[in-house]
Amino acid sequence: MKKLLLISLLFIGIQHIAVAQDFKEGFVQEEVDMRRYDKDTAAHAVYLNEYGNSRIDVTSDDHIRLIYNYHAKIKIFDNKGFSNGTIEIPIHNSDDVSEEVTDITGTTYYKDDNGLIQKIDLDPKKVFKTKDYKYGSTVKFALPGLRNGCVIEFRYTLISPYWDSFRKWEFQDDIPKIYSQYEVHIPGFWTFNASLRGPYKLTKTTSELERECFTSHGSKSDCSHLVYGMKDIPAFVVEDYMTSPKNFLSAIYFELVEWTNPYTGVKTLVSKEWKDIDRQLKIEDAFGSQLKRKDLMKERMAPVIAGKTTEMDKATAIYAYLQKWYKWNEYIGISSSDGIKRAMDAHTGSIADINLTLITALNAAGINTEAVLLSTREHGNINTLYPVISDFNYVVAKTNIDGKSYYLDATDPLLSFGVLQLKCLNDKGRVISLDKPSYWVELSTLQKTSEIHTLDLILLENGKIKGTITNYYSGYDAYLQRKAIKKFNSVDEYIEDLDGKLPKIKILKSNISNLDSLGQPLGEVFEVEIDAFENMNKAHLVFNPFFWEKRTTNPFKLAERDYPVDWGMARDNRLVLTMHLPPQYVVETPPQVVAFALPNSGGMFVTNFDNHDNEFTFSNITRFTKAIYMPEEYPYLKELYNKIVLTEKTDMVFKKK
Amino acid sequence: MRAGLLLFFLLIGNLYASAQDNYDVSLISKDLLPYASAVVRNNEVSVEVKDYDNTLYHIKTAVTILNKNGNNIADIVVWHNKSRVIKSIKGIVYNQFGKPISKFSESDFEDVSARDGFSLFQDLKVKHYNPAVTDYPYTIVYEYEVKSKQSLNFSDWEPNSTTGQAVEKSTYAFSCKPDFNIRYKEINMPVKVVTGINKDGYKTYTWQVNNLKAVKDEPYSLNEDKYLSCVKIAPEKFSYEGITGSFNNWKEMGKWIYDKLLASRLQVPGATGSYMKQLTDGITDPKLKAKKIYEYMQGKTHYISVQVGIGGYQPFLAADVDQQNYGDCKALVNYTQALLKTVNIDSYYCIVEAGSRKQSPLSDFASMNQFDHVILCLPFKNDTTFLECTSQKIPFGFLSDFTDDRLVLACTPEGGKLLHTPKYTAPNNLQQRKATFVLDAQGNLSGEMQTIFKGTQYDNRESIIEEAPKERIKSLQKEYAINNMDIEKAEFKQDKNLQPVTTETIKLSAGEYGSVNDGKITFLANATNRTHTVPREIRNRRHEVYINRGYTDEDEIIYTLPAGYHLDMHPNDVSINKPFGKFSATITVNGNELKYKRRVQLLDGTYSKDIYQDLIDFFQAIVESDDNNVTLTKGN
Repeated sequence: MKKLLLISLLFIGIQHIAVAQDFKEGFVQEEVDMRRYDKDTAAHAVYLNEYGNSRIDVTSDDHIRLIYNYHAKIKIFDNKGFSNGTIEIPIHNSDDVSEEVTDITGTTYYKDDNGLIQKIDLDPKKVFKTKDYKYGSTVKFALPGLRNGCVIEFRYTLISPYWDSFRKWEFQDDIPKIYSQYEVHIPGFWTFNASLRGPYKLTKTTSELERECFTSHGSKSDCSHLVYGMKDIPAFVVEDYMTSPKNFLSAIYFELVEWTNPYTGVKTLVSKEWKDIDRQLKIEDAFGSQLKRKDLMKERMAPVIAGKTTEMDKATAIYAYLQKWYKWNEYIGISSSDGIKRAMDAHTGSIADINLTLITALNAAGINTEAVLLSTREHGNINTLYPVISDFNYVVAKTNIDGKSYYLDATDPLLSFGVLQLKCLNDKGRVISLDKPSYWVELSTLQKTSEIHTLDLILLENGKIKGTITNYYSGYDAYLQRKAIKKFNSVDEYIEDLDGKLPKIKILKSNISNLDSLGQPLGEVFEVEIDAFENMNKAHLVFNPFFWEKRTTNPFKLAERDYPVDWGMARDNRLVLTMHLPPQYVVETPPQVVAFALPNSGGMFVTNFDNHDNEFTFSNITRFTKAIYMPEEYPYLKELYNKIVLTEKTDMVFKKK
Repeated sequence: MRAGLLLFFLLIGNLYASAQDNYDVSLISKDLLPYASAVVRNNEVSVEVKDYDNTLYHIKTAVTILNKNGNNIADIVVWHNKSRVIKSIKGIVYNQFGKPISKFSESDFEDVSARDGFSLFQDLKVKHYNPAVTDYPYTIVYEYEVKSKQSLNFSDWEPNSTTGQAVEKSTYAFSCKPDFNIRYKEINMPVKVVTGINKDGYKTYTWQVNNLKAVKDEPYSLNEDKYLSCVKIAPEKFSYEGITGSFNNWKEMGKWIYDKLLASRLQVPGATGSYMKQLTDGITDPKLKAKKIYEYMQGKTHYISVQVGIGGYQPFLAADVDQQNYGDCKALVNYTQALLKTVNIDSYYCIVEAGSRKQSPLSDFASMNQFDHVILCLPFKNDTTFLECTSQKIPFGFLSDFTDDRLVLACTPEGGKLLHTPKYTAPNNLQQRKATFVLDAQGNLSGEMQTIFKGTQYDNRESIIEEAPKERIKSLQKEYAINNMDIEKAEFKQDKNLQPVTTETIKLSAGEYGSVNDGKITFLANATNRTHTVPREIRNRRHEVYINRGYTDEDEIIYTLPAGYHLDMHPNDVSINKPFGKFSATITVNGNELKYKRRVQLLDGTYSKDIYQDLIDFFQAIVESDDNNVTLTKGN
């Protein structure tokens, strides 16, 4: 009885604090009258006010929980803004605990058909919950009675058992906000680092000490009460060829540094410096402990590397074996929660299950291999000021052979040894090993990709062109091309489809090499016959030497660019065309011979032409030496593409002698 | 001796059973392998109607996955909810030699909410599982049992509707208690039904097909129901979510829907009724009254889909929509009908299969599962008008390409009626552009163009119009393949009449549109509307060529050429006339003006499969013509 009373008192106390800084709820005449948002007149809706409050506290069932209150008021100008009236709150769960959303209320204020102010409340029966996947659900509701010009207001409380991942706050959204404020109450038992992302400055920050705000079973502490506010936040607009919007959205993030168990007084340093994280990862069941299971892997890899002598042979054998062994279960993450043994026995696992198996297996075979924690492009960039373990959502292997490092991901059976998928080529990775301190590697400069096309053609008297087209793909392009071919049940079906897509070109014979030898460049040789000219009785024949791959529009169209163009890797594309004309023809108009380059050797487009009698060779190279181009480089990139399009537009003319 | 004989029979029986269950991959006939990434070895669907509220489904499937592309066919997906309960699921995985390698059971399945991509909520869940096997080929054999508490809908039996999948053997066995009567429809079936009475005295209907080759995608193909095998079954009398009924034809089905699902849903509050009268006060033409009310409804409501229980078929109460301002297609049609009723305008609630591909219900077989959307019909004399009620912006009386030119079932107090929605013809579906450009000696282009969009092309710009002005420019730059296009001004006007028109006016410039080289300027004659793709060639096409909807595109560009330049080379005029379409492109020069005219028309219809090559050649000719350059030379 006494305990119950204590908790309910505490609850009232906290509510009082929580309400203290929140904006006033309810109808405001000016808000319903508001016709447009002057700072963004194109906006269909605007946040009039938004407020969030997170605190770590003890709930009535005597658990320590992260309690998050959310309150927002949105003005909806017209029906294109109605989608803002449907609220979706994603929540997470583990096998035994779950986040919960409670106390949902919602109200719409509007002028009715007769111009009278009305309000309508959300019916609690119309709040729905869907189960999305094993560890996630969504709570959803639609505000009632939306009309052009209405104001919606809603609140909810989210109670989370995951107090170690303190809630971030996104100041910016895809509609503008007039004001957004986040408050946190952190008891002295916990220490978090806060970091602000995005281009906008906070317009309000305060901090104060709250006396004895946390009490449980006789244990007490003061809280830091921190307030972050931002005014007039513009809508966020996504641009083409950018990485995760998270990298650019204005938001505040928190990372647990240390905490003291309020009941036992035991202090746990979660993250302070990388050496602490290193130590923690090394002993963690779902990470370091798995990397130590070398004996298990020694046994399982023995037959795989039997007879192999060099480290390279062993490494490629193990990599290929595990690529084939595993079927990725579509889950990502850096922890192997069920362990690599269970994953191996089941032939399936998460990114961590599979790649920790790989790292351990390679080490077991005596090949020095480290783990690389990274954040996928979609997941956003890494905070490099101090360690933020939740920034990472993916792990790959870095194996070191004869002084060279190879980055490996065994979760995709089509990836060549040393090639990562585009999604992994983002910012930096942190290299973790059992025996030395961790360190950063740059992932955005890791990879290159290239294609070479060789066309050897003869123009026949009957107007047809015969010859061979050879394509070689290396690096990531080889991966993409293998994927495209493997979409078909057989190489024959791929050729049939390709032939079908090239109406003027008949593929007479074809040969695909190294489709399954992932270590080699992928080769395609096509013997072709092209219906080039219907009528050869003409004085002039027009021919475009870029016909195999012609770029007709500039992908870069913006006058100004706000965010970097991020392709993930450097690229190189060459084409060499050799052509024999019938003896009575000569080249009258050659293709343009040009050389354009980006500043600081950032890239180039170069063509070359060589003509002897009725034979000519034309080649061109397009090269981008960097993965990322900054906004100030954008105009150059745009202009280079413009020149490419212009050059490729120009036809050659052959003349009858 | 008798015992010995019995034993002998049992042994034979066992042998027979194990021979049936041999999943060795080498036993698959070579004829079934082309274009297949999976082969169904055996599929047995058994449906047993024990009572109106008790139907037992038993599904047993053995499927061999030949390669990675077949993995999605190995997905086991079982829908369930309160009235569709899973009784059991189990399965075994076999290797290529037919040796069992692992087992799975219901606890291996993940259970999640069904997602249709547009509903806020549906009371449907789905258990799914995909076994982790990495050695191809492999075979999975699974069976599950589901108990359904309704007898209104029986899933259609489509033995091979999945692309890339061949079938060795597939059986559908429907059985029902003696007093349960059904209608059935065999579509493109190579065999007829076998009927009988089983040991429980139940009536049985059985179909079996063998050796179906993998379906291959063919561009411009007919609707699937024109060539895929299918059996549809409908009950004479049924029970659904506690509601009973019976129907044998469209008239009776429409009547049942009206009486049991719709009639009670039409009340709106008195105040709303008065407001409707006030709103239409002074309008005498009922059609204009209806338009006023429709536009009121559009301004007030928006689409949100929530499907629970009988709510899958029955609309929300009109009074609820009046208050909440949202609903799904059923609710918004019912609400509009209720509003119209307050001013004494009659309308019909019409169920339809929606989508750009035109799909009509079978005129001679009534069943509930041939529809997925609802529209409203205003049966004015000699002027039947249809309304799409889920869009806040579609013009009154316009259906666009979502529900045009197909049969719908109007559910009226007098019973169901099959009605045909309006067809938008190829000449109606018009995009017509006129541009006047100035090309200067540096190859820079500037000028204005105006485009009108009609018929089903009316909404070509709908998503761009929705965007903020800055974003509109970006989208238009992607829409027009004019290199380096800068847009100074872009304006849109929409006439929301019964024949709606969108007009787009753009003022633009494009630096270096023409490439200048060696005293010559080269530029693409077709700046505004280029076709880049040609339908792919198909070896041994199986099915007729079907063009679902026709259209017409017209472009006229007048270029003012730079002074001192004359035409050096220009492409030949093209004119093609085929039964399925027409194409022409011409260039004429008059002084310093060059006029480019292009017209493409594609005519909807079904054509012999032999014309497919002509269709490819047609598009290829367009692509080539669109790629043609004009070259100007300095001097005379």
